[in-house]
Amino acid sequence: MLIVIFHLPYSNGVRTVTLIPGDGIGPEISAAVQKIFAVAKVPIEWEVVSVTPVKGPDGKFGIPQAAIDSVNKNTIGLKGPLMTPVGKGHRSLNLALRKEFNLYANVRPCRSIEGYKTLYDDVDVVTIRENTEGEYSGIEHEIVDGVVQSIKLITEGASRRVAEFAFDYARNNGRQKVTAVHKANIMRMSDGLFLRCCREAAEKNPDIRFEERYLDTVCLNMVQDPGMYDVLVMPNLYGDILSDLCAGLVGGLGLTPSGNIGTQGAIFESVHGTAPDIAGQDKANPTALLLSAVMMLRYMNLPEHAAKIERACYSTIKEGKYLTADLGGKGKCSEYTDEICQKIEAE
Amino acid sequence: MSTSLLLRTLSGPLRNFGHLKAGSVWTITREAHNKSKSPLAQYGGRFTVTMLPGDGIGPEMMNYVKEVFRYAGVPVDFEEIHFDPNSESEVDFFDAITSIKRNGVAIKGNIETRENRPGQISRNVELRNELDLFAYIMNCKSFPGIQTRHKDIDIVLIRQNTEGEYAMLEHENVPGVVESLKIVTRANSERLARYAFDLAQKQGRKKVTTVHKANIMKVSDGLFLETCTAVAKEYPNIEHNNMIIDNCCMQMVAKPQQFDVMIMTNLYGNIVSNLACGLIGGPGLLSGRNMGPQYAVFEPGTRNTGKSIAGKNIANPIAMLNASVDLLDHLGLDYHAQLVGSAINKTVNEDCVWTPDLRGQATSIDVVQNVIRNIQEQTKTKNWGGPRMGR
Amino acid sequence: MASLFTKIQLTASLVSRPATALLQKQGANQARAFSAIQAPVSKPEGRTKCTLIPGDGVGPELLYSVQEVFKAAGVPVDFEPKFFSEVQPLMSVSLEDVAESISHNGICLKGSLATPDYSHSGDLQSLSMKLRRKLDLYANVVHVKSLPGVRARHNNVDMIIIREATEGEYSSLEHESVPGVVECLKIITAEKSHRIAKFAFDYATKFGRKKVTAVHKANIMKLGDGLFLRCCREIAALYPKIKFEEMIVDNTTMQLVSKPTQFDVMVMPNLYGDIIDNLASGIIGGAGVVAGASYSGNCVVFEMGSSHTFSEAVGKNVANPTAMLLSSCNMLNHVGLEYYGNMIQSAVERVLKVGKIRTKDIGGHSSTNEFTLAVINNLRH
Repeated sequence: MLIVIFHLPYSNGVRTVTLIPGDGIGPEISAAVQKIFAVAKVPIEWEVVSVTPVKGPDGKFGIPQAAIDSVNKNTIGLKGPLMTPVGKGHRSLNLALRKEFNLYANVRPCRSIEGYKTLYDDVDVVTIRENTEGEYSGIEHEIVDGVVQSIKLITEGASRRVAEFAFDYARNNGRQKVTAVHKANIMRMSDGLFLRCCREAAEKNPDIRFEERYLDTVCLNMVQDPGMYDVLVMPNLYGDILSDLCAGLVGGLGLTPSGNIGTQGAIFESVHGTAPDIAGQDKANPTALLLSAVMMLRYMNLPEHAAKIERACYSTIKEGKYLTADLGGKGKCSEYTDEICQKIEAE
Repeated sequence: MSTSLLLRTLSGPLRNFGHLKAGSVWTITREAHNKSKSPLAQYGGRFTVTMLPGDGIGPEMMNYVKEVFRYAGVPVDFEEIHFDPNSESEVDFFDAITSIKRNGVAIKGNIETRENRPGQISRNVELRNELDLFAYIMNCKSFPGIQTRHKDIDIVLIRQNTEGEYAMLEHENVPGVVESLKIVTRANSERLARYAFDLAQKQGRKKVTTVHKANIMKVSDGLFLETCTAVAKEYPNIEHNNMIIDNCCMQMVAKPQQFDVMIMTNLYGNIVSNLACGLIGGPGLLSGRNMGPQYAVFEPGTRNTGKSIAGKNIANPIAMLNASVDLLDHLGLDYHAQLVGSAINKTVNEDCVWTPDLRGQATSIDVVQNVIRNIQEQTKTKNWGGPRMGR
Repeated sequence: MASLFTKIQLTASLVSRPATALLQKQGANQARAFSAIQAPVSKPEGRTKCTLIPGDGVGPELLYSVQEVFKAAGVPVDFEPKFFSEVQPLMSVSLEDVAESISHNGICLKGSLATPDYSHSGDLQSLSMKLRRKLDLYANVVHVKSLPGVRARHNNVDMIIIREATEGEYSSLEHESVPGVVECLKIITAEKSHRIAKFAFDYATKFGRKKVTAVHKANIMKLGDGLFLRCCREIAALYPKIKFEEMIVDNTTMQLVSKPTQFDVMVMPNLYGDIIDNLASGIIGGAGVVAGASYSGNCVVFEMGSSHTFSEAVGKNVANPTAMLLSSCNMLNHVGLEYYGNMIQSAVERVLKVGKIRTKDIGGHSSTNEFTLAVINNLRH
């Protein structure tokens, strides 16, 4: 899948990317990213769309057709945080996007950031999570009163797809090792199938090291010695838990980028909340969205631009002069952004 | 005041029968009878039991129980709830009730009630109402070692515990005229009778005697008697007779051996149970069980605080220890019930270590130490802690 | 009532005056008399029987260490060893035999059992799951507590993780509906959810804890985890003195690695429990120092907090016996042998705190035997 996108005909010209600014602090941090990209002279044109739900012909609220068309056309999107309205008739927009573009893999690199001290300073792992089935299949029913049965669905196709993606990702990003995280000693058939698909993918990719670890072992080791792991691939629920865990290791969701890879396109996003309490006050931290955008550049085969922006971002945090409040600083979002821009220009 | 009080008092015992229609009594009470017990706080063979030390000698007695349990290796932990009898606040009291609802079982000393305030419901009564502990059971069995006028008494006394004269509905209509209501319901009478006959059948007892005053209180005690007689028909192998309360008291002190199982309403139960205690050797020996469809509370047989002898090391600990044996029995800890029970019996009957109320010279602690010695003697040869089996 | 009072007073006054004076004096001395009664803490002359399952991997070595310490401390416990293993089925005794022994003795000390990814008999259930089902060991309790002298990233962690262990994701109900598509059922029932919630709150009450956190994923699994959460809420209403909180599992893991001291007692379904147990163990120094136990109504199996067999360390004399020793202390406390439980526990803590003797997993170079010996030397009667 990945390869196909890399070889799209216009890979050297200016490309259009759909931008979904999102709610709350979303517009501010999106603006910050746009500004930095402009300074870095990234050959990208933004197509800003809104995904504010509109009432569809079936009476349910959903994503506006314009947004769907835009992503379908550009195949790549960058998205700020979205708020799911409370109340009936509203499906989670994130879920809707995931369904719409068949985003089967969620990728989250977690790396300790110099300048922001946490108890863990040697983290550099990437979690890859199967995103379409598993425990979150959404198939649940109450058999008799007080007895609920949920179905965890594992299919060969989806497992193989994500396993192969993991190895591709590892190779394209200079990673050494892929670890399959599972619980096949208990769930012998379902996780067993997932594991078998990973093993098959490993055979096809002999250049990348492969290992299998139990979920509980990974949890135990992750907090003792996170350096043991490199790329982790796993089913839905485990991935959900482990990716947040890893984010916790490096300082929270405000610093971790995330990408969703699908068959119909890819969407990169920041996974933190909309923080409505500080929206519009120039206090938000754009790092997560910026790093997601960097991930996107690598995905679009623009590694030079990606590296330039990433370097500027990391060194700004390392210097610690313009840190935003969530990182313990007093800086404003605009100051932080300007500093990054200066660093890029200085190069 | 009286209406709200009425509702409050009746809400406990009657709650399960609020929808009662005359014809459906039998089926509904059957259901109530079969209603599953609330889950005990039983984990890994250990139990948590609520302990309400109460007032007077209660707290010291509870310490003895804890000591004895420790030496006997009893797998029971106590959740102790103390409350200040002088406090107006109901918070602690309701804590105690929720605690019993959680653990399912409690052991309790008597809680002091200040008599001078008419609005104040006795907390002991309120507890029984709230937990629907409709039956009070006392095993009155002679101790062979204790000299009394009557020998070989073996009576099971079952008393209605939540209504009757203890409804506490009293008011002064005009100055100098006080009315006190006595409540008797068919539902409560019936489940009490059924409880009594079931118990008689299980323990292989021959006769059930209903005690009443239906010759005077024709409607209220009449209903009680009528219900008991109806239930008795379902148990043809158990003899049933009835006796008027005044006659019963006379018979009790003259020929107590004639009684086997006795059922009675609340006030009569109070009288007869104290009488029975007196016949057997005083208030310090017997224990009583408050049983409901869901919860069980164990306490010394004669419900009094013994404030005058508190802290003097002379109160007889046997009653409270017997209550703890009842508790073990209820939890299904047969091995431990037997262990502690036999140690108590040996202390009273063979070692004759008696407190002043039994005309002995021993202190409370002497008695407890003797019980502990007996337990230690037994556990030397046996598996410590015994086989672990619960209900 | 009133007449009885006077009766008691009468009885009291019947005793002659000097005698009452004496009695009152005794009353004053009561405190001293009490302390005399309470002197020996559970040091009975009778003996207690305990089932012993050595387990796989380093299990036998660790339990050997426990037995050595018990011998040195003079603990009145007789072990009834049962070899039980899934990886060596020919040598293993039957499930019935083990279950019978445990339910008779009420207590069991167990090393971790290895669970291979496939079974010899094509069974979906692993052996330890079968044992859990057979005995209905529904509540798994892991007490994660920072130990003095064990270096870890976080300090002052003290939490109890309670996990439902008989249903949920580990139901072993799996089938391949069409080739390449496997369905695995997760079962949540109100009955078992109530039971585990009540267990958690009762446990919190018993050990004087302040807060219970229910961990769930009810935002996605609205029915299943929703039911679990509802049951927890219902039970929480009966415990007004204990604070109740709810937390989504992914957020919980994040909070655990950043602010673990915020947790007190946690209750959760099966799979999340497995994750949180291991995570929390990792935070305070690894699987070698965390004790656990599985409860049913009638019996308890004491084991390691997280089930790793460390088969790579077998025979190398490097495994850390701390977790198993602490677990055996819990066992002793459970059957009323606190005297010995406390003795061994403080010996282990002393060895760790002094820090001269440490096994490899917590940054030392000592062997299992050296550690065991150090504990024995630190036993103070």
